[in-house]
Amino acid sequence: MNKNRPSVSDYLTHAGHIVLILSSFARLALRLGPLGLLRNIRRYPWILTLLRAPFLMGRLAHGRTGLYREANELVISFIVSRMASLLYHTLSGKSNCIMHQEMVPPEISHAMGLSVWPAEILSILLPIIDTHAAERYIDRCENEGIPPDICSHVKMTLGIVLSGEMPPASIIVSSNLPCDGNMTGYEITRRYNNATIFRLDIPFNFYDERAAEYFAGELKRMISWLEENTPGRMDWDRLRDICDERNRMAEAEIELWDMISARPAPLAAEPVYLSHLWAFNIDPGNPIATRHFERLIEMAGHNLSRGVPAVREERFRAVLWNPPILHFADLFRWAEEEYGVALIIDSMSYNSQPLIDTTSQDTILRDLGKIVMQGPMARHTRGPAVNYIDDIFRIYHRFNLDMVWVAGHIGCKNTMALNQMLREACREKGVPLLIIEYDLSDPRICSHEGIIRQIDHFMENVMKTGRLEKTGELAAQL
Amino acid sequence: MKQSTHISLFDELLNEPLNRLVEQAMDEKRVPVGYTCSYVPDTLLSAGKLFPVRLRAPGLAGTELADTYLSNVICSYTKSLLEYALGGGYDYLGGIVFTANCDHMRRLMDNIEHLRKPAFIHTLDVPHRRGEAALDWFTDELTLLANKLSEHFAVDLSRENLAAAIGNRNTISRLISKIGDLRKQTPPLITGGEFHRIMTASQVAPVDLLVPLLEDFHRIAIDRNGIGHYRARIMVAGGELDDSSFIDIIESTGGLVVADRFCTGSLPGLDPVPENGDPLRDIAEHTLDKILCPRMMEEFDERASAIRSNVLEYGADGVIIQTIKFCDTWGVEGSTLTSELRSTGIPVLRLDREYRPGAEGQLRTRVQAFIESMGK
Repeated sequence: MNKNRPSVSDYLTHAGHIVLILSSFARLALRLGPLGLLRNIRRYPWILTLLRAPFLMGRLAHGRTGLYREANELVISFIVSRMASLLYHTLSGKSNCIMHQEMVPPEISHAMGLSVWPAEILSILLPIIDTHAAERYIDRCENEGIPPDICSHVKMTLGIVLSGEMPPASIIVSSNLPCDGNMTGYEITRRYNNATIFRLDIPFNFYDERAAEYFAGELKRMISWLEENTPGRMDWDRLRDICDERNRMAEAEIELWDMISARPAPLAAEPVYLSHLWAFNIDPGNPIATRHFERLIEMAGHNLSRGVPAVREERFRAVLWNPPILHFADLFRWAEEEYGVALIIDSMSYNSQPLIDTTSQDTILRDLGKIVMQGPMARHTRGPAVNYIDDIFRIYHRFNLDMVWVAGHIGCKNTMALNQMLREACREKGVPLLIIEYDLSDPRICSHEGIIRQIDHFMENVMKTGRLEKTGELAAQL
Repeated sequence: MKQSTHISLFDELLNEPLNRLVEQAMDEKRVPVGYTCSYVPDTLLSAGKLFPVRLRAPGLAGTELADTYLSNVICSYTKSLLEYALGGGYDYLGGIVFTANCDHMRRLMDNIEHLRKPAFIHTLDVPHRRGEAALDWFTDELTLLANKLSEHFAVDLSRENLAAAIGNRNTISRLISKIGDLRKQTPPLITGGEFHRIMTASQVAPVDLLVPLLEDFHRIAIDRNGIGHYRARIMVAGGELDDSSFIDIIESTGGLVVADRFCTGSLPGLDPVPENGDPLRDIAEHTLDKILCPRMMEEFDERASAIRSNVLEYGADGVIIQTIKFCDTWGVEGSTLTSELRSTGIPVLRLDREYRPGAEGQLRTRVQAFIESMGK
């Protein structure tokens, strides 16, 4: 086992982060009022799942030590603190709160003084905290007639809506990203809420100026529509500030990527991908999020200068392609311990178009549009197969990796239909490839044991290695 | 339900993609161009020596190879086309035009390009909504395609030729619509199965060569006494459906299919293309204005409303929403559409099916039960 014994300092840091998490919840209770909180818990029982975040932190910290362990704790307490703030804005029933589909950029709405509730946030966070959290919502959705083969992430979101557990919204902004199921599902959300909806249209071929111009036009249309339908008014100076701050955060993330490209990596896994997931999708342009990345850089820098690896015995470096396995959040902690596999980067974090030119309104909208169109998941689920496959090899070389792990989510038909092409491409280039067959949110499709078995087979048959414990025993015998 | 012997002439055209009319056209040095989706404007592929052929996979036994490439969670229409392509079934085509219409079609294009490398392949980027900006975008898309077709096939896609193609298309659509309107009568003069064969044949053969058959059929049909006994008038809605045996099964239970509002059907497939003097923009407008597929993300209410109008217009007693299993757009929309139509008192049966005909007994039982549930 690749596991260190935590020091007293590790335990103290852990306790400090638990205090931070509890204080975030306490602040929420104070702002909503104790009765208000209880009313909301009754209406939105998933709040109870969120309250279990300290256990998730414990799972992620297990077996990890030093600054890597602290970075894991930091990202969880950061997300909890920001989620508590988001919940307050959403549950306090202010008229400036609108619902966004996950691929719609929040920068514009924030600049208009609107508070954004990202509809899919619960379908991401709840299964990460509680493996089985998605099941009852998925069942509810299927019982309403949605076919079981639709993506479980979409079904879970719709299940929350249909259960009456999604905070209501009279204004929704959605898009045709990232897949047909999600796009079509918004009609159900609109009807359930009797809401007014705006839908952004993202072109299929987006790597040219014609597409950039078309989509900037879509964003302008969105701004006009929001001004007509909400109390929000566009403040271009504010948007410029948000984008400048976002640029600072993106530069910090690039610096972090440069650091983790080193072998062994000074940080890995959750601090890298969970930080991106929250900061760039929910909080871009917020100085708190930028500071979070700067803190990660400090930790990574410290480890680098002292030669301390994140994973004690880093034997293999992997990219995780497709969204992380939500209901098995500690998979990579397990893979570190058992095989010395370090998750260096994932496809959802790697943004190939990270910076915004803020010299004019037009350049801001054009570059924000490019970030949406060329962002993670968007650029992989639209456009030709080359967008998906070549990106994998680009990242493979950029981060000095040893293997590609694809989270082969059975509900993602878009990518399932490319797996064989990917297999052939990897074979040709000699890149070891593991496609984990599973479901993103529903552990009943493939259990954790089933996922582990697939990894064991891959490590044994393709990587020709065993678990660290066995390898150690073997070496001792020899 | 008895069908005219004359219809067997259309049936013959549906047994093989390379049918006698396609062969005849190719002998005359005309070029067939395949397409996969009703959002590919067939009019644009009808100009000059080109003629459009909608891709089908008749008689396909299985999709073993396509399962490997596209996985087993992709719709069976898409997989059947890939399997057919891998067997060389479309090698006679001069090229194929796809749309980025749905996730499945996009990946079909990727896999066909990867595995077969057709001499001409193009993906049309159809916006997911209407409006001036979308119309401009799609007109540009059609211009790009037209230029590519002109260059590759050395065809003259001038404004005059495109306008002529639109004129021809509208003339033939009117003729087919005239036949389709015979279903409105009480009793109808043609069966749904007959009309489905005519509609499908018009998509897989050069339509100009089909005109004599269409005229003959119309002449014979108007002299008939009408369809005999039937229990209920049915409207079929939903996605791709190019196998007439599905309609035959419905009609074998006493349900007469009087309206066809689906991907390959006549509603709104036969609506005329506007002739406002800018052919590419006219074609773009016609394509985007089609109220049909849930891939257009803003039109749910209009789709439901169009079905309600057709139910009244064709005197349908109930609606069957048929979708191919694993289709995400129709899969999600099907449930909302079903409850919306039922809430306005329209009986609805929702049927998931595979592209290739099968499970006939099960299908018949469900349709029978549906007809009985309507008290017919």
